[in-house]
Amino acid sequence: MSELATFTALEAKIVRLLCTQPHDVEIDEVASLLGESHPQIAGTLRALSQRGFAGIREENVIEYVLGPKGKTLPGGKLPERAVMEALAAHGRIPLRDLERVTGLPQKEAGRALKPLENWGLAAREGGELVPRGTLCEGHVPPDGAHERLVAHLASGGSGALSAIAAAGIDLAQALAGLENRGGVVATKERRRWWVSLTDRGKALRDEDLVVRETVTALDTALLTDGSWRGVDFRPYDVSLSSRRLYPGKEHPLRRVLDDARRVFLELGFTEVASPLVESAFWDFDALFQPQDHPAREMQDTFYVRRPEGARLPAEDLVRRVQRTHEDGGETGSAGWDYRWDETTARRVVLRTHTTAGTVRALARDPRPPRKVFLVGTVFRREAVDYKHLPLFYQVDGIIIDEHASFASLLGTLEAFYRKMGFERFEFRPGFFPYTEPSVEVFVWHEEKKDWVEMGGAGIFREEVTVPLGCTVPVLAWGLGLERLAMFRYGLDSIRDLYLSDLAWLREVPLCR
Amino acid sequence: MPVVGIPIHRLNDLLGRPVPADELVRALQRMGSDIEGFGTVRRFKCSRCGFVLERTATEADPGYCEDCQNDFSSPGSVLPLPPVEVVRLDLLAVRPDMFDVGGLARALRAYLDISPGLAAYDLASPCVRVDVHPGLDGPGCFRPAIGCAVVRDVQLDDDLLKELMRLQENLHWALGRDRRRASVGVYDLATVTPPITYRTVDPDGPPFRALGWPNELTPRQILQEHPKGRAFGHALADFQRYPLLIDACGQVLSMPPIINSEESKVTAASRDLFIDVTGPRVEAVSRCLNVMVTSILEFSPGSRGEHVEIIGPDGKRCLTPDLTPQEMILDMAATRRVLGINLSDDDAPGLLARMGHQTEWAGPSSLRVLIPSYRPDFLHQRDLMEEVAIAFGYDKITPALVPTMTVGQPHPDEERAAAYRRALAGLGHVEVMTLLLGSPETHYGPFGLPVPEECMLIANPISTEQTLGRTWILPGLIDTVARNTSREMPHRLFEVGTVLRVDPEAETGVAQHTRAGVVLAGPGIGFADIRSVMDALIRETGQQLMVRPLSKPYFIQGRAAEILDQNGTVMGEMGEIHPSVLEHFKVIQPVAAAEIAVR
Repeated sequence: MSELATFTALEAKIVRLLCTQPHDVEIDEVASLLGESHPQIAGTLRALSQRGFAGIREENVIEYVLGPKGKTLPGGKLPERAVMEALAAHGRIPLRDLERVTGLPQKEAGRALKPLENWGLAAREGGELVPRGTLCEGHVPPDGAHERLVAHLASGGSGALSAIAAAGIDLAQALAGLENRGGVVATKERRRWWVSLTDRGKALRDEDLVVRETVTALDTALLTDGSWRGVDFRPYDVSLSSRRLYPGKEHPLRRVLDDARRVFLELGFTEVASPLVESAFWDFDALFQPQDHPAREMQDTFYVRRPEGARLPAEDLVRRVQRTHEDGGETGSAGWDYRWDETTARRVVLRTHTTAGTVRALARDPRPPRKVFLVGTVFRREAVDYKHLPLFYQVDGIIIDEHASFASLLGTLEAFYRKMGFERFEFRPGFFPYTEPSVEVFVWHEEKKDWVEMGGAGIFREEVTVPLGCTVPVLAWGLGLERLAMFRYGLDSIRDLYLSDLAWLREVPLCR
Repeated sequence: MPVVGIPIHRLNDLLGRPVPADELVRALQRMGSDIEGFGTVRRFKCSRCGFVLERTATEADPGYCEDCQNDFSSPGSVLPLPPVEVVRLDLLAVRPDMFDVGGLARALRAYLDISPGLAAYDLASPCVRVDVHPGLDGPGCFRPAIGCAVVRDVQLDDDLLKELMRLQENLHWALGRDRRRASVGVYDLATVTPPITYRTVDPDGPPFRALGWPNELTPRQILQEHPKGRAFGHALADFQRYPLLIDACGQVLSMPPIINSEESKVTAASRDLFIDVTGPRVEAVSRCLNVMVTSILEFSPGSRGEHVEIIGPDGKRCLTPDLTPQEMILDMAATRRVLGINLSDDDAPGLLARMGHQTEWAGPSSLRVLIPSYRPDFLHQRDLMEEVAIAFGYDKITPALVPTMTVGQPHPDEERAAAYRRALAGLGHVEVMTLLLGSPETHYGPFGLPVPEECMLIANPISTEQTLGRTWILPGLIDTVARNTSREMPHRLFEVGTVLRVDPEAETGVAQHTRAGVVLAGPGIGFADIRSVMDALIRETGQQLMVRPLSKPYFIQGRAAEILDQNGTVMGEMGEIHPSVLEHFKVIQPVAAAEIAVR
């Protein structure tokens, strides 16, 4: 058959060589016959094999090699032979000279004495080693198969089974002789590749082997004169690994915060900014939280020592809030029935929820329809453990709309959690001082097999909205974001998010 | 929030029919209870004062009595009681009527339709009188409001005694605001001789034996020496005279809101109880009393409530407790609009009955709702709408979206910060997020700086590591390098985040600014590297990098520069970090860093 194909010079050489070989040939042999390096031949043969011209057969073979101890033997001689030869040549040897005379390490030389004594070939007399038996006449007993194997390997002979047999060494006998001598000879597994032409390769005739120049790098010269058309590019082993790169990227928690932002922007919300260092007025009072509410205590809220005292908003707004606390004011509520104190409202706190930001937005412009959100840091005076940090992120939102209802609150929350990737969630009653009705959102945690609380929501009480000049329902929610991040990245501890272990930041994938 | 273990067997007894555990959990969750789980609690009774301590399976045995401080290390000082199966509830401050097994059973019986509607309590005519003397409405002593009740034929045992004390404590927490608004006292009526007098006394007035105390103390000594006096003395801080309840024989019942007397103590053998609640205002006092009395009547079946006659300093007579239901009008049209559910007028009475309310029609689509006297959480008709929604079931509400179209709009500051992050990530830097709070030791000292005047300081920090608001970004970045010295170098990190600076112009006294910090660390890193990064970043913001030499203790002298904007105003700085800083952070590679304002 005629094959319309082009070949690189090396491919052509290999095909020609393999044509002359009656049997499979090892890759090493092809390399040495063609005078090329092994990797280059291997790569080219793989290309030929992919094109169906050559076949590669892989074989795992056992080879014998010198073990760590065998490699230290001078001249590839076992210690007892070295000692025997020395005794035959010198006669008596002072024990302290044994190391020097035999060239053996002292420990090895010493170990050789015991078998020689057992065989009746040597004995120790007054600090000297003296020959016995045939050694007295200078006759060294002939070497055994095991010694010949060691000598064969030490002289660079191949450890392949066939090579050992060809050297006339009885392998079984040799191994038996080395049975108690660990480390002299070891086995090694070696992978060998045998190649041959396939039927398709054998069918190639000389004129089929159209040879083209092979280049490694494409360069400007090849491109400018168009000579790239006449060359082939050396194929690479594309399975080889490459250098590990880490892209610059945003923090995993940032991605969750950004996702939350995107969800609300997609739902038609306007983003607002709001102070982290807040007045108690906006953090608590405007939200109808009575001034002796436990959440306002020093135990739960960070108060600020410097600066002291925040400015309050317009006087009439402050008075409306005051009256609502004291007796309900215009809101139709009974109020909390106590004396409201302005100094308490001026205290500076680290905001305990981003609702301080949405209620500010409501006060700025209470006219419906509006949808407002912000993502931001909030602070709680909690000791650090795997679940708690003194600060974390929330997303807060409000909908000011005459058509807003509790059902549309649940629908908005559902839309958010669906877009954040949750399938199963549940709404349960919740209780917050500033919303009524209130709801807590739970999502299903597949690994924990349990519902996990994610955040609270509700319709702002009229005690909140009416003093701010709003007469339509205002849906409001504050949802924690760290837990979402911990779910997404499979973290057990909230601290892992902030510890910034670079190994984790580099490896954690952008996509999930 | 306190967590209580409600014994399941007792709850089931009170429900009138056994309710399987999972149905119980579902019902409680749908009512809004926060369930911590089920479990067995081990119980220990103090042999001196009879107080029962509870421990979960994983908690250690108590070492001393939490009530009378009795040391449990001596043999016989503590008696183990049989363990009980409980459902553990995280208490909701707004539902004190569900703090104890009696009140919980009452709520469940209505919700599960076993006995819906208003729970009725018949109170007998008063046999006990309390005379209130002048002087309790200040100045020098302000605790004028008092409400009392008698409950006869209670059947107490160790469990119910525990329930009683726990209810008292939790009411102090939820309604009493740490005993300031209201405090409850319970006494064995058999030890008291009516009429009882509520009056003020001199701090060095009549000495009496406070609960769990071996000898008599004057009121002043109680505040100084008794553990409860030390714990709650703040409620009497500005008082020149102290309130006291004392019986016809001169026997002290209690010194509200601090402590009862040992002689009038309730034990498991007590049959008739006298209860008082005192506080500055009558509303809080009466709410607290109503919860206390009705819960005892619920958890001790067969007990009978009785009014107490109170004669005010002006001779005015009133009977307490007043269990008259609160009335509120619920507009059904508004309810449907707020909840967004399809609810017929006829459905509402049944739903409200399952929340323990009674209803009658006040007009077309307008319900008069009678709210039980032990529910303090009804300020507005919106509160009733929530009751309707809970009984209806949140899971039966069809979620929808508001029909109004609005256009989304990101905040320009956030967009700008996002652009900086995109540029720095594009330049190959990894974002880190470090804490906004720090301390002199994390953010200033190691950099050779004093804490600046513009630094916000926390009044009540919870740890020494977070006492102030950061005014710059770099310390967190350098700390991150220090934590990652074993990771493959070089490090190229950035943070775009907020810093806080005291600013009298700002409404709350603190202005927040967004700043971008960059840090490079690794062999061969130097000024030229950080300059390239800042040059690129500033070009991406449409400006040109302009610099001026800078000398700072945390930069190597001669290798630092201020970064200026087009008007020559300083907007940041960059340089090679000084070896003294690196030595402090145990960083052994050169570090170059920069920080600029994002604007």
